[in-house]
Amino acid sequence: MAARILIVEDSTLVTDAFTVLFRQAGYDVEIAASVAEAIELGSAGTVDIMLLDLSLPDGSGLEVLETLRARGRAPHATLAMTGHDDSKTRQACLDAGCADVLVKPLPIGELLRQIERRLA
Amino acid sequence: MSMSDQPEPAAQKKRLKALETQAKEAQRAIAELNSRDALKTQFLSNISHDLRTPLAAIITHAEILREGMLGELNAKQRDSVSGIVNGGQQLLDMIDEILTYVRGESDQITLSPMEFSITELVDQVRMLNQPLAAKKKLTIERLDGDELPSVHADRDKLKHVLGNLIGNAIKFTSDGGRIWISLSRRGKNAEELVVEVGDTGRGISRNNFELIFREFAQVDASPSRPHHGTGLGLAIARKFVELHGGSIWVESELGKGSRFFFTLPLNTPRD
Repeated sequence: MAARILIVEDSTLVTDAFTVLFRQAGYDVEIAASVAEAIELGSAGTVDIMLLDLSLPDGSGLEVLETLRARGRAPHATLAMTGHDDSKTRQACLDAGCADVLVKPLPIGELLRQIERRLA
Repeated sequence: MSMSDQPEPAAQKKRLKALETQAKEAQRAIAELNSRDALKTQFLSNISHDLRTPLAAIITHAEILREGMLGELNAKQRDSVSGIVNGGQQLLDMIDEILTYVRGESDQITLSPMEFSITELVDQVRMLNQPLAAKKKLTIERLDGDELPSVHADRDKLKHVLGNLIGNAIKFTSDGGRIWISLSRRGKNAEELVVEVGDTGRGISRNNFELIFREFAQVDASPSRPHHGTGLGLAIARKFVELHGGSIWVESELGKGSRFFFTLPLNTPRD
């Protein structure tokens, strides 16, 4: 069965691009545009990798991970996505349990490698 | 008190009152300007941030095409799509430069110091710039520095400064030229590290030595200028160096190349 990626991101421009990319690479893709949607989809416990934008319309992306972890439904790996790399944000993401912090836009080769590595 | 002195206290009082009013007005004007400046900075920050998202999507779509994930491209198509990726990347770098500058302006930048080897960092930045230099048949060499102690500084920020200086050297040096990085110590107890980035490029006239470190300033700011950019690179470099307690300056002569220097206090751990 194909691995499932949950993209948590409120810009459809970005989710459209990622959907094409991940489907072509053979993954199942689900999309959530808010903290609430992400918690709902993630709570099913079927997500392998979560790509998590940090600033969502109804809160911080990290709230999604915190809630899913509290419910014992955290994905296999969560990769945080941010527009700007700074050490404070990075540390907050790692403390919250993210496997890594990616600075958008990551070259697609690098992005796919990151995901493969987390699934291995 | 003579009769002629009579009106004076009243006139003085009036004059004082006028000055007080003027001072108040000046204060109001300054406060108004400051708040407008803050608004402008906020606008610059928001707009830069908002520009990133669609641009990131454009680059990702173009990469998907370029990598042939939606079907193989022929060589011409691939070149064209590569042009979208490269142009997008360049635009993104400029937006990031504006964002970095804005964050510096609103004092949002803090240092995260760590111990590291400055020579290794110089070599890393040199390698990163090698492909760009090779295109112009430029050599980039590090002349010395093997014996230097490790530094305690914000590695990312210094990488940014070195990248900016070397990037400028590549941009303003014509084909076949030389770029070098020299590392030395100075001061009574050799307590200061001096980094030099030199080139055999077009040089800068003395009149512009100060100007180039000012934000938004470019020696040639005309729309037809041959070298484009935000004009923020050196202003950011100066900010980062000064945050470390160092200084940055240039020595140059038109037509004879430029030598950029910055200093960094050694053995003084900072928070």
